[in-house]
Amino acid sequence: MDILTLFVAAILVNNFVLYYFLGICPFLGVSKKIDAAFSMGMAVTFVMTLTAVASWMINHWILIPFGLDYLQIVSFILVIASLVQLVEMFIRKMSPPLYQALGIYLPLITTNCAIMGLALLAALKNYDFIKTVVFGVGSGLGFTLAIVLMAGIREQLDRADVPEPLKGAGIALIVAGIMALAFSGFSGMIK
Amino acid sequence: MNLSARMIIVLTVVGLISGSFLSVVGLLTKERIAMNQQQEIQNAISEVLPATKTSHKVFEDESLAIYESRDEKDDPVGFAVYASGTGFQDIITLMYGIDPSFSKIKALTILEQKETPGLGAKITDKTAFLRYWEGRNCEQPLLLRKPAVESPEDLAASEVNAITGATISSEKVLDIVNLSLERLKEIKQKGQLSSEEKNAP
Amino acid sequence: MPPKKSIGAEYLKGLWDENPVFRQLLGMCPTLAVTNAVINGIAMGLATAFVLILSSLVVSSIKKLIPNQVRIATYIVIIASFVTIADRFLAAFFPPISKALGPYVPLIVVNCIILGRQEAFSSRNSIGRSLLDALGMSTGFILALLVLSSIREILGSGTFLGYPLLGAWFKPWTIMILPAGAFITLGVLLGIAILIESKTKARSA
Repeated sequence: MDILTLFVAAILVNNFVLYYFLGICPFLGVSKKIDAAFSMGMAVTFVMTLTAVASWMINHWILIPFGLDYLQIVSFILVIASLVQLVEMFIRKMSPPLYQALGIYLPLITTNCAIMGLALLAALKNYDFIKTVVFGVGSGLGFTLAIVLMAGIREQLDRADVPEPLKGAGIALIVAGIMALAFSGFSGMIK
Repeated sequence: MNLSARMIIVLTVVGLISGSFLSVVGLLTKERIAMNQQQEIQNAISEVLPATKTSHKVFEDESLAIYESRDEKDDPVGFAVYASGTGFQDIITLMYGIDPSFSKIKALTILEQKETPGLGAKITDKTAFLRYWEGRNCEQPLLLRKPAVESPEDLAASEVNAITGATISSEKVLDIVNLSLERLKEIKQKGQLSSEEKNAP
Repeated sequence: MPPKKSIGAEYLKGLWDENPVFRQLLGMCPTLAVTNAVINGIAMGLATAFVLILSSLVVSSIKKLIPNQVRIATYIVIIASFVTIADRFLAAFFPPISKALGPYVPLIVVNCIILGRQEAFSSRNSIGRSLLDALGMSTGFILALLVLSSIREILGSGTFLGYPLLGAWFKPWTIMILPAGAFITLGVLLGIAILIESKTKARSA
């Protein structure tokens, strides 16, 4: 699969939220307002790209050469937790306004299955370095697309007459299902 | 003991204990997991080339692997080709058996697919798709026959039946096979088919 | 400090009142991903239970030794270790299930239920109570997976645990096995759970 195909597939065909079911917690929790959703999406894309780089290096420079692939899960999650910590400290120092916008979402990202999912999937599919990074960026953008679309719909949904039991998570999931259906129309578009 | 020292000690101890635990588990399961993977390939080879008694890998790169199969008299039965490519939804991995002169496909089996259940997923079904692959003439690229026909006899020797309602998945399987056939002939021409360690089923 | 629950209550709360999926809205990623067939749902539930129960036992045993600042990191290492064991065990002894569950077994490490229980419960309670809590949450999680996967498999393939259930007259609703079906079914189930909860509250009020 060439790079461009991989990039488009990661955003549309195999969308992280709507196909792989990753990142559902933030998808439901942070999708009530479009700008909050966009900020979360950007934070996730940023961390995903860094994670793609870091996990590839750890996998191919340490784990595989020394036959330590059983340490993959432990090392990946520790790397992700540390990365998020570092990114948070860095942003807080370098750009307080950016920290205001993104900062609160960062600690949430550690248990965001999308990040760990990215590291695991890239390792599973045995992508080389460039493909892993492209996969990371693409998947992050796909997540952002899904969460922003959801926020747009939910902002409208606030004014609709949703039955009481379905308010909140229930209707959000049903909307996500319809979105997933729509996105499945993208299948088969890659050669 | 001050806090920093305690933090470091606790983390180190926890790290060491789980590290050792995991290496034990890792070693215990390593062989079994490798064996399972081998077994899967062996089963696939036996399925597409039933007369196989032994087989060994003769070529491998990122998209293709070729296994030479021999029967109990150690005569060559043919080659089993392991290939993968983009399907309708996700990657499709398959294996087919081909005779030693690369002119006839004996059988095809699908190893991994994530196509639409009930439609594209029918590519794993013998009656709906796979039986039409038996004995195909592959000296020229294979072609897709649609609309689909009922009986294998109605197909031309180099035609393959599409699945009604799942044309794209059928086509993707065809593309993967055709592409690998091209590479196969290339590899044979360049004399890159070499023998590696034997692995008996 | 809220009054300590009875032993029974400590276990039972995980099944309904504090059901991790339907009430706490945790662990939804695996709930959606592997419930396309009942066998997959059960396998995931058992794997998660394994990790949750053992992690809770370990954390509860060493809770006094862990300095506060490094507690999350320690929990993560403990949880990740048990997840690795579960993952390797499945790959070695149940390869078809390991394949069907794919990357979702390693993803148990970020299942918010597990880290959540360590932080909220095992780090502050006795070993016995932590065990009960873990057992209850695990049972609740497995139940949630069972309900969702049964609906999806019966309606989506006409089978249950692979055995044909509804006969040839039934044309399966393929959408149920697809991602869309997962989302919609869970959304409806959540709505039903909230409805039941409000009705029982209204009756006892």
